[in-house]
Amino acid sequence: MKSHFISDSDFSKFVESLIRSVRVVAPVAKKTKFSFETLESVSDLRLDYDVTILPPKKAIMPVKQELVRFNGNSIESAISAQDQVLLGVHFYDVKAIDMLDELFSQGHKDYNWLAYRQHTTIIASNVQKVSNRAFFASVGQGVQAKGHDGFLTKVSGGYVFDAISPKAEALVKQGTFKDASPAQVTEAKVANEKVLKECPETLKHSTEAVQKKVREAFKKEELWKQFSDQCFSCGSCNIVCPTCYCFDVQDEWNLDGTSGKRCRTWDGCMLGEFAQVSLGGGHTENFREERHTRFRHRMMRKATYLNDKLNGPACVGCGRCSSSCVPDIADPVKIINKIMEA
Amino acid sequence: MSKKVTVASFDFTSCEGCQIELTNMGEHVFMGLLNHIEFVEFREAMSEKADAYDIALVEGSYSREIDRERLLEIRRKAKIVIAMGACATCGGINALKNHQNDWAENVYGDKASMPHLASAKALPISAVIKVDYELPGCPMNKEELVKVVNDLVHGKAPLIPDHPVCVECKARETVCRFELGDHCMGMVSRAGCGAPCPAHGIPCEGCRGFVSHPNYAALEKVLVEKAGFSRERAANKAQMFTSNYLEKLR
Ligand code: SF4
Ligand code: SF4
Ligand code: SF4
Ligand code: SF4
Ligand code: SF4
Repeated sequence: MKSHFISDSDFSKFVESLIRSVRVVAPVAKKTKFSFETLESVSDLRLDYDVTILPPKKAIMPVKQELVRFNGNSIESAISAQDQVLLGVHFYDVKAIDMLDELFSQGHKDYNWLAYRQHTTIIASNVQKVSNRAFFASVGQGVQAKGHDGFLTKVSGGYVFDAISPKAEALVKQGTFKDASPAQVTEAKVANEKVLKECPETLKHSTEAVQKKVREAFKKEELWKQFSDQCFSCGSCNIVCPTCYCFDVQDEWNLDGTSGKRCRTWDGCMLGEFAQVSLGGGHTENFREERHTRFRHRMMRKATYLNDKLNGPACVGCGRCSSSCVPDIADPVKIINKIMEA
Repeated sequence: MSKKVTVASFDFTSCEGCQIELTNMGEHVFMGLLNHIEFVEFREAMSEKADAYDIALVEGSYSREIDRERLLEIRRKAKIVIAMGACATCGGINALKNHQNDWAENVYGDKASMPHLASAKALPISAVIKVDYELPGCPMNKEELVKVVNDLVHGKAPLIPDHPVCVECKARETVCRFELGDHCMGMVSRAGCGAPCPAHGIPCEGCRGFVSHPNYAALEKVLVEKAGFSRERAANKAQMFTSNYLEKLR
């Protein structure tokens, strides 16, 4: 890995030229918040964002994605992955994308995810402003961010750019980069360490202790009922989560009745219909019909069930669920700390 | 495809906005659908009356006793009854009068005693007849209607969402009304509209009715605690489109 430096003005020129050659998806302002969008001009780029409404996984697996098109008995894949650069991803979201890379390549591979992922170059950037519900410093401390191609850190006068993969080295050739000085490398290191001390919320126990105790709390029905008393089953905590990866598949028929498409749409385990399954003959059953069982399921998924597959929790501490929950009951820090102290 | 599916359309207490949506569908879609369906009764466009039809589209709420017989007749003649729009599925805006007694004077002034204003509670048509599918919304969502009719014509079970509007609102990355100091009812309202209201800067009023299991107590609580409503206003908030649901919940 090599550390480069690019000045602020050269960085702008670099991004402008990048936009002209490839689709660049990056954080932009959205009213009082931020979202990842296809960048049209470098002046829209907001690397000083705190957190985006939806996670950047949407550039790889959009909210709604066409899987196949069919006509009579002929079926064709709808995959049409084009090269793209996902710019300005915070390290916690890099971790989350890495988790999905892992989950989508285990067992039955998800070729749609893998195809779009392969065409994506990820340029991470340092957290310049910590969001008001973040706890990324204390969750899954043993898990390193990996899978990204490069890492930008804002320093005085410009950015230090760590080129991790050959794709990133190729990008360096497109801009006016210099070798970063030792002082610049140190400044970047300090900046990245500093934000870890600025999280407003903190998980107080280790991943292993949390995994054990939360798992043991499964049978405490009353506790889960208390936690979920105000829950709307609105699924916002799922939809905004960078590590959630469930989807619903539906066929959409054209009016001719022979052709159409099969699409998948992000789904969430907090929704009442999520666990409703067909028993045949028009009958259905819902195996998580009660609100508190769904609420419990989400926490189990984030803090225990996937830990062995991922070598850590399926939560990166972005705090999106906490801030998007209208009754403010979805915060994993509050839930987990309460279970640990019980 | 052999015989076309026959469709009849009827209106009860309503603004006929939903039927207007039908005609707003766009020629391409409408004509595409007409390859498979045939309208046999449609007051807006034809004078014929039919003895039987495969699908009855019913707009409007049930608010007068004299409408009962007409609804029963529709049910007898139709294989499938689809309630179309907020009025037909939950009483709609009409149900605003259910909990007021001075509406006629306020709205019609000295004409308040016109005979056709004599009406009972505005109720969904399911209060009188069995309804097979409900297409909520004020007005109903025309794409959803096409989808449901298309699914029925081609033998697929139609799917009407039963999750809150927040799902679609988050999916399009709208900044939540509550984050902006406003209120919203998207957490208890049925999705399927694509959450246009919050995206255009206004709260969701629940025109598609409630989901099957709305957490109503929690709605009142957040309206008070997060949106700063008085208890009374919070308790009354869900009466625009959903007062008939509230009666069932309370
Ligand atoms: S559970 Fe919440 S904090 Fe954890 S990754 Fe998901 S949205 Fe972020
Ligand atoms: S915990 Fe909050 S965000 Fe999640 S489903 Fe319940 S109300 Fe919605
Ligand atoms: S649901 Fe709305 S648009 Fe449809 S008839 Fe009723 S008032 Fe009119
Ligand atoms: S604006 Fe309304 S619909 Fe959208 S997320 Fe907030 S509460 Fe839900
Ligand atoms: S956002 Fe709410 S009020 Fe607006 S169309 Fe949807 S259900 Fe109706």
